[in-house]
Amino acid sequence: MPYELSQPPIDHGDRQAVRRLERPAQGRYVGGVCAGLAEHLGLNVRQVRLAFVLACFAGGAGVAAYLFLWALTPQSLAGAAAPATQDLGEDRSARESLRNLVVGLGLLVAGGVLFAQQRGANLRLGVLLPLLTVAGGAVLAWSQLDDAERDRWLARSGEGRRAGLVRLGIGIALATVGVVVLATQGRGLVGLWDVGIAAVAVLAGAALIAAPWGVRLWGDLRVEQAQRIRETERADIAAHLHDSVLQTLALIQRKAGDPAEVVRLARAQERELRGWLYAGPRGSQASLASAVTEVAHEVEDLHGIPIELVITGDRPLDVAGTALVRALREALLNAVRHGAPPVSVYVEVGPAVVEAFVRDHGPGFDLSAVPPDRFGVRESILGRMTRQGGSAGVRRLEHGTEISLSLPMTLASGAAEKPGAAEEPGAADQPHTEGVR
Amino acid sequence: MTEPGALQPTPIRLVLVDDHRMFRSGVKAELDDSMVIVGEAADVDAAIVVVAQTRPDVVLLDVHLPGGNGNGGSDVITGSGGVTTESGAPVRFLALSVSDAAEDVIAVIRAGARGYVTKTIGGDDLTNAIRRVADGDAVFSPRLAGFVLDAFGAAAGEVAVIDEELDRLSTREREVMRLIARGYQYKEVAKELFISIKTVETHVSSVLRKLQLSSRYELTAWAVGRHLL
Repeated sequence: MPYELSQPPIDHGDRQAVRRLERPAQGRYVGGVCAGLAEHLGLNVRQVRLAFVLACFAGGAGVAAYLFLWALTPQSLAGAAAPATQDLGEDRSARESLRNLVVGLGLLVAGGVLFAQQRGANLRLGVLLPLLTVAGGAVLAWSQLDDAERDRWLARSGEGRRAGLVRLGIGIALATVGVVVLATQGRGLVGLWDVGIAAVAVLAGAALIAAPWGVRLWGDLRVEQAQRIRETERADIAAHLHDSVLQTLALIQRKAGDPAEVVRLARAQERELRGWLYAGPRGSQASLASAVTEVAHEVEDLHGIPIELVITGDRPLDVAGTALVRALREALLNAVRHGAPPVSVYVEVGPAVVEAFVRDHGPGFDLSAVPPDRFGVRESILGRMTRQGGSAGVRRLEHGTEISLSLPMTLASGAAEKPGAAEEPGAADQPHTEGVR
Repeated sequence: MTEPGALQPTPIRLVLVDDHRMFRSGVKAELDDSMVIVGEAADVDAAIVVVAQTRPDVVLLDVHLPGGNGNGGSDVITGSGGVTTESGAPVRFLALSVSDAAEDVIAVIRAGARGYVTKTIGGDDLTNAIRRVADGDAVFSPRLAGFVLDAFGAAAGEVAVIDEELDRLSTREREVMRLIARGYQYKEVAKELFISIKTVETHVSSVLRKLQLSSRYELTAWAVGRHLL
């Protein structure tokens, strides 16, 4: 018996000894009440079942108790999630249990009635039979509400669902017949007309009276729902602003005496907020554009100097691309250390060549005047680029210096993958630009 | 502003449209004597009225504005169509934005703005940009240039065979855009390409026209997708 499935986790502390009363999905004959009860009380299943059957003969108390427990006991969740491999067996056992239910209930009721009649009690069969029919119909119809069963039907289209509909139909029909017989009480179908019209009139009247109230209730519910959604959103935004903007503002106030730090904080916060507000699908993280963006932000944070970054096009990041990003980082560090702001970066990812330009507005430097044993430009930038088959150059402008990197793309390294960013509307939307000054 | 001095050019008449009062006062403090602010507005409807009344040379226009049809700065430009200054020149619009989102910027450019700068621009650069727009030229930020290169496929090597082609940039326009994207000022671009600043301005204006008129598939589809057209 698969009771292990229905055992709650052991980490419930004081409650771990008490097993919740629930109906197992497997190993049950009718509704799993006996099995569940036996499990809950630690008794033998057979004894429990026998007790229920015996109780049925005591004026139908067993039936009543069974129905009561069935209605109130939840289906075991572990059983509801029964693996699909047991589907066929489940199906068969469900059908068997249905047959058992009908036959058993019929026998029990008939026995109970006969027993009572023999004892001389007047059960007024004219009332009892329709009532029993209604009850039977209701049980059949309500059985559709059994969570686990409903899930199974929903999950499985076709046969299972049709069987469910048939059961629902039979249940409703039984209940209807019972109600009709009860209502007519021997006056025949003609009497039903009057009763039916009266009933419909009462229902219509009640509906008319209740309609405005119902509509308003529904409207209130919708309004409340919308409000709750808005409140949740507000709370989300407030939480984010608190964690980011307010914290940064507090930091800025504390460091008011350090302009560079204030600029750095404001800049980092601006970027973070921008990313949060306007974040869109940016493609895979391992793209050249995202790597360049990351490096630019890192250098910006390191030195507190704003870097204006414009990127057009994109491509997957490969070995050569990584080398370019590293060289670019070196060039950027150089620009923020030795140059003067504004520092501009333009990276153009073309089909045949990737070009990058780092420009500052400082006094500039002369590459030939740099001692060969130190400066990062020679090894970190020039060396890196030439090893990947690219080139690098330093130019002195009237205001500042520009380092240019160029890396030819071979077809093998993936240049053919994206013939051009503009061919792809998504890429054309976002020129991957950050921090326009 | 009515001073007829020959050496002192007539100040540029400005209207400031921005829903943040702090930003408006910030801009006012940064501008020099060559400009005079003749009106201010905080939303689309007020802006249209102020522009029609004051007929300024340049309108500094925030991309995001309340009121109108909900399209912010674009609505002001559409609503002020046909308004001219006293000398008969059309009123020109310079878009300012803090959002950096390409769709906002392109929408306002396609509505008719002559340029775009971000709100973090320095005072001198802003003055230059306003002067340039007042002269009928276009102002491109590096970011806008980058977008243009992307949208017209210029970064991928597409180049117009004839200059008049609306859907592609000419070789020269592409070079100018690339240099602007690299952070070059107009005069640096001119020096780099051995052309005059006036020629640079012509190229930029031509790119602006293409940006406004092009039916290039990506631009159109992109704009339609955002209900801009």
